[in-house]
Amino acid sequence: MSFKDVLSPFTAWKHLFHDPVSIRNPIGRAAAPRYRGFHQNDIEKCIGCGTCETICQNGAIDMVPVEGIQTKQGDSGLRPRIDYGRCCWCALCVDVCMTKSLNMSNIYTWVESDGDAFRFIPGVDKKPWDDAAHGYRRPDDHQLTGPTRLREHMPEMEPEERIGSFAEIVHGYNVEAAKLEADRCVSCGLCVATCPTHMAIPQYIKAIRDGDYDLGVALLYETNPFSSICGRVCTRKCESTCAARHEGDAIAIRWLKRHIMDQVSDEQIKKVVGQPAAPTGRKVAIVGAGPAGLTAAFDLAKKGHQVVVYEALDKPGGMTRFGIPEYRLPYDVIDRDVDVIRSVGVDIRCNVRIGQDITLERLKSDFDAVLIALGLQDGRGTRIPGSDQPMVRKAVDLLRRVTAGEDIGTPRQAVVIGGGNVAMDIARTLARLQKKQYGEVKVILTALEDLPHFLADADEIKESGEEGIIILDSRGPQQVVIENGQVTGLKTWKVKAIFDEQGRFAPTYDETDEQFHPGTMVVEAIGQMADTSLLGDALTEQLAWQRGRLQVDAGGRTSEAWLWSAGDMVRGPDVVSAVADGHRVAASIHAAITQGVQQ
Amino acid sequence: MTEGVHGIERLRGKTSLKEILEVATHFEESARDFYKGLIPKVSKRIRYLVEELAAEEQSHYDMFAALAQRTDIAAQVKAEIERTAADSKFSDCIHLPDLGDNPDDQAVLQYAMGREHAAMSHYGELAQTTPAGPIRELFVFLASEETKHKLELEKLYYETVHRGGGV
Amino acid sequence: MLDIFPPDRTQYPAKKADGTLDIDLTSGKYLKLWQGPNHPGITGNMSVELTVCGDEVVEGKTHVGYLHRGFEKLMERRTFIQVFPIVCRVCVPEPDFNEYCYAACVEELAGIEVPEMAKWIRAMILEMGRINSYMMYLGGQAGALGQGVIGQWTTYVRDLMLDRFEELTGARIYHMFILPGGVRDTLPDGFAGRMEETLCEVEKTLKDVYDVMFCNAVFKKRTVGMGVIDPSWLEPYGVTGPNARAAGVAKDVRKDSPYLIYDQLDFEPVTGQNSDIYTRADVRRRDVWVSVDLIRQILAKMPKSGAVMAPLPNVLHWQIPRGETYVRGECSRGEYGYYLVTDGSGYPRRINVRGPSYTHAMALLERMIVGCNISDVAALMVSLHTYPPEIER
Repeated sequence: MSFKDVLSPFTAWKHLFHDPVSIRNPIGRAAAPRYRGFHQNDIEKCIGCGTCETICQNGAIDMVPVEGIQTKQGDSGLRPRIDYGRCCWCALCVDVCMTKSLNMSNIYTWVESDGDAFRFIPGVDKKPWDDAAHGYRRPDDHQLTGPTRLREHMPEMEPEERIGSFAEIVHGYNVEAAKLEADRCVSCGLCVATCPTHMAIPQYIKAIRDGDYDLGVALLYETNPFSSICGRVCTRKCESTCAARHEGDAIAIRWLKRHIMDQVSDEQIKKVVGQPAAPTGRKVAIVGAGPAGLTAAFDLAKKGHQVVVYEALDKPGGMTRFGIPEYRLPYDVIDRDVDVIRSVGVDIRCNVRIGQDITLERLKSDFDAVLIALGLQDGRGTRIPGSDQPMVRKAVDLLRRVTAGEDIGTPRQAVVIGGGNVAMDIARTLARLQKKQYGEVKVILTALEDLPHFLADADEIKESGEEGIIILDSRGPQQVVIENGQVTGLKTWKVKAIFDEQGRFAPTYDETDEQFHPGTMVVEAIGQMADTSLLGDALTEQLAWQRGRLQVDAGGRTSEAWLWSAGDMVRGPDVVSAVADGHRVAASIHAAITQGVQQ
Repeated sequence: MTEGVHGIERLRGKTSLKEILEVATHFEESARDFYKGLIPKVSKRIRYLVEELAAEEQSHYDMFAALAQRTDIAAQVKAEIERTAADSKFSDCIHLPDLGDNPDDQAVLQYAMGREHAAMSHYGELAQTTPAGPIRELFVFLASEETKHKLELEKLYYETVHRGGGV
Repeated sequence: MLDIFPPDRTQYPAKKADGTLDIDLTSGKYLKLWQGPNHPGITGNMSVELTVCGDEVVEGKTHVGYLHRGFEKLMERRTFIQVFPIVCRVCVPEPDFNEYCYAACVEELAGIEVPEMAKWIRAMILEMGRINSYMMYLGGQAGALGQGVIGQWTTYVRDLMLDRFEELTGARIYHMFILPGGVRDTLPDGFAGRMEETLCEVEKTLKDVYDVMFCNAVFKKRTVGMGVIDPSWLEPYGVTGPNARAAGVAKDVRKDSPYLIYDQLDFEPVTGQNSDIYTRADVRRRDVWVSVDLIRQILAKMPKSGAVMAPLPNVLHWQIPRGETYVRGECSRGEYGYYLVTDGSGYPRRINVRGPSYTHAMALLERMIVGCNISDVAALMVSLHTYPPEIER
C-alpha cells in the first residue's frame, strides 16, 4: 500500500471529458457486410426442395404453399417460411441451399408491435431488405452436401470394345461407389413426385447408404416390379428434377436402383416379395406381357386373383425385350424380373395371339375382367417419295427381328431417320451388325430436331457418336433416292425453325440447303402406333376414343365395363409410365371385381 | 381431287371481291362436305381427325361468308394480310395419297395438308398474276388463310407421326 | 476453520460426534439467507444459501439449476451438423470454446484434417473471446466492490472486440463460425488493421484499469489476503486456469498440450504467488496482455491464403464411426473440454461438456466461503470467475 494507491484512482476523472461511445439509436445501424440478418429468398430460383427445412435444428422453417407458385416438375411449389421466434441465425439453411436462392441480408434491426409479423416467407412477403446488397452468402468452397458435385463414375465398356458385340455396356456400381453416390442425395423427394410410379427414391437410396439391400428391394417392389429393367433403361424423369443438378450432376438414381437389384439374389428377392394373398376365385385376362400388363398382373396376382397373361410373341417382356437392344438391356435381366412376377402366381402364355387364336369375346366371357396392354408395336413411316421401297424399313420391325435372331440383311451403309431412343437403338444395332459382318460402321442418322431437342437420351447420343455413327440434326427427310430399283440414299432439307410461339414443334424447311446421304437401306424410326385390330370393327365402333387412343378413365377402364386398357397404347411410349399405369389399372380392376360392381 | 382444288381456275377473271369470296366460300363448303362424307368411312379410332378437319373447313366457310357480307371488305382484307403466314414447306415432301375406303390417320393428315398446300399455291399464283389492288390483296389473304391452316396441320402431323419414339 | 466441512457432504447439516447438529438453527445464533439467484453480486443465475453468525459466514451451500437447459440431451437428438449452432449457447460470455471443442471432437472421430488456415483463424477467435471474457470479469470484479466505472470501460472495449467478431464471423455474441471441418470464411479485407486499432484500445483501457482498480487502496484493502485458495486444494478440487496459476502453478493447456497452432506461438503462462482475490484479478489482467500479444503474433504468422474448410461428407446424413474422445482447451476460466461418444449413427450418442466453473463454483466456493465476511461474499464469488451456464449444460 502506498501513497500512489490513494491518488491513482482519481485518474478515472480524465474520462469525464470523453465522448460517449454508445449509439443513441441502434435501429438502422449498419451491420458488417457478412452479418447474418433477415433472410432473402429468390423465389424464382428456389425449387422448394425443403433442404433448408430439413437442416434447421430449431424447426424455424416450414415449407408452405404460396399463391401464384404452381407445383411443377422439379419445383414443389412450396417456399420456406421462417419463424424468427425460433431462428438462431446460424445460416445452415443458406449453407445447404441447393440453388443458392436462400441468403441472409445484413439487416437485423426491425421494430414491430405484432409478434406474428416476425414469421414470414422471404421473397414472397416483401421486406425492405429484399434487395440488400450485403449479408451472408455461402462462400464458394463452403459445401455441406458432400465433397463432390459430380456423379460417381460408372464403369462401362470402351467404344472400341462394345461395338464388337451386343454385351451389356454398363457394368453397374460396386458397393463402395454406390454408397458414395447415395451419399450425395439430399432426400428432398422432388424425384418421388416426378416419377410416374412414385418410387420411394430417397428411402431406397438411404437403404444403399445403410447397406440394407433387402429393405431396398422391398421398397422397389412397393412401386415397381420392373426394377432390374428400369434400373437400366428408365427414362428417369426423376433425374431431370433432382435438386442436386442445381449444384452439379443429378444423382444417378437409375444406376442406384439397378445396384440394389444387382446386390440381391433371385431367391432373396422372391422371399422379400413374398407370397400372394389367399385365392379370391376371381379371374383376370391380360393381353400383352409388357411392363403395363405384367405390372397389373403382379399386383392382381398378389391380391389373390387368378391372372392369365396372353402374349403374341414367343417371350414375355414386350417392347423391353423386342424393342430395346441387348447391349442396353440384356435378355436375362428381363427374364429375372419376369421370373419374380411369375413367382406370385402369374400365368404367362406366350405365342397366343388374341383375335386369332382366342377371340376377345371369349376372354370377356371366361374372365371377370380383361385388360389390353398392347403397346405401340407398329412403326410409323415418313411416306416421303421412295419410302415404299422394300429397303426402306421400320426400326421397330428390325429390332424385333434382331431379338428373334433373324438375319435382317445388314446393309453396308444405312441411313436412319429419327432422333429418339428407338432411332439410336437401331443405329447402334446396325453399327454392331456392320462391324461384325463388314468390319466397319457406316450409319448416318438424320433427325428433324436440333441436338438440344433430341428426344433421345444424352447418353445415347454421345455413345452413338463414339461408336462411329454420324448424327446429322435439323435435317428433314425429303426423298428416298432410287436408282435402278435400288435404294441409294436419302435426300434431306435443312430444318430452320423449330418451335412456334405456343411451344409446339413446327418444322420449317429450307429447300435451298439440300443434302444427300448415301445408304442402301433407309430405316424409319420416327414414331410408333398401336395395332388395335384385335378389337374388331364392332367393338372399335362401340368403344369411346380420345384422339386416336382408347378413352379410359383414371383407372384405365374403357367405356366398356369389362375392358381395361393400359400402357403405351393409352399413355405413349415409356416403360416406367407403363408400370405406373399397370398399378392404376390393377387397383381399378381389383376394386371392380371384388365389389361386384361389374355388370 | 375435289372441286376446291381443281376449280380454283374459276376465280380467274372474277372482278368483284364479293364474287371471289363467294367462290372461295363454295370451295370450303365442298371441302367440308368431303370430310363429312369421310367420317363414317374411317375407323372410329381416328374419326376425331376427320371431324376436326370438317369443323375447320366449316369455320373457314363461316369466316369467308361473313366477310362477303361486309361493306368494307377491302379494308378488312388489308388489315388481315399484315398477318400473312409464311410457308414452312414441311409437308411438301409427303405424298398426296389416294384415300381409298379405309384411310389411317396419317393418310388423312397427308391428304388434308396436300389440299391446303394446293389451295395455298393456287391463291398465291392468282395473287401474283393479279395487278396490285384490292383483288390481289384478297388473294394474298386467302393464300395466307390456307397457309395458316396448313401450318396447324403440320404441327398436328408432327405430333401424331413423329413423336412416338421413346422407350 | 477450513476443515469444518470435510469433502464428504452426505450429511447436511453436519453433525457433531455426539449426534447434535453442528449448526443448531434453533439456537437463535444463526441466520439463513440467500444470496442470489437474483442478486447483483452473484455471477449469473445461481445462488448461495448462506448461514451466518453475525456477519460471518459459517456455511454456504451452492444451488444451481436455475439455468438448466438440457443442452447435452438436446445434442443427442440432433445430427452432427445440427449440434453446431447450439453448442455456443452453452456459455454466453465465451461461446467460441464450445464451437472449437465440439468441432475438434467431431473432426477427430470422423477423421477430418482441418486446413492450416482454419487453425490460425480458430486460435485468433479463441484469443479474441478470451479478452472479452476477461473484460467482463474485470468489470464484475470491480463492480462487486463498488467500482462501477471499471465495468463501463471494459464493456466499451469488449464492444469494440464484438465489432471485430461481427465483421469476421457475421455475428456479435453467438458467432457460429467454427464448425466441424474448419471455419466459415476467411478474414475480411483490412481486418488486421482494424484489429490492431482495437488491440491498442484494449491496451489503453488495461492501463486505465490498472491505475484505477489495481492501484487502489480500497481495492487492495479488500482483496489482498482475502479468499485464498490453498495450493493443496488444487488437485482435489480440480482447480485450473487463472485460479490455479494465481497459486503459483503454471497450468495452461495451451502450453501443456498445445492444440491448434499454439506450439508455434511464443508466450509464457501468467502466474502469481499469493492465491488471493487480488492476485487472481492481476493474473487475469496480465493474461489479457498475453492474448493481445498472441493475436498480433497470429496475424503476423498466419498463412496469407488457403482453404478454410475441409471437404465434409453430406451433412444431411453424416454418420460418424463408433468412438469416443475428449478434447480440451484453455479458456479464460481454465480447462474447457468436450467429451463426445459416437455409435456409428447420425447422432451423437453422448456429449458431455466440462467447464471449469463446475468445480470452481459448486465445490470450491462452498469451502472458501466459510469464515468469509458477508460483505465479501460477492467479491469472492466473482474472483473465481465462474459462469453458471457452463455448469448447467
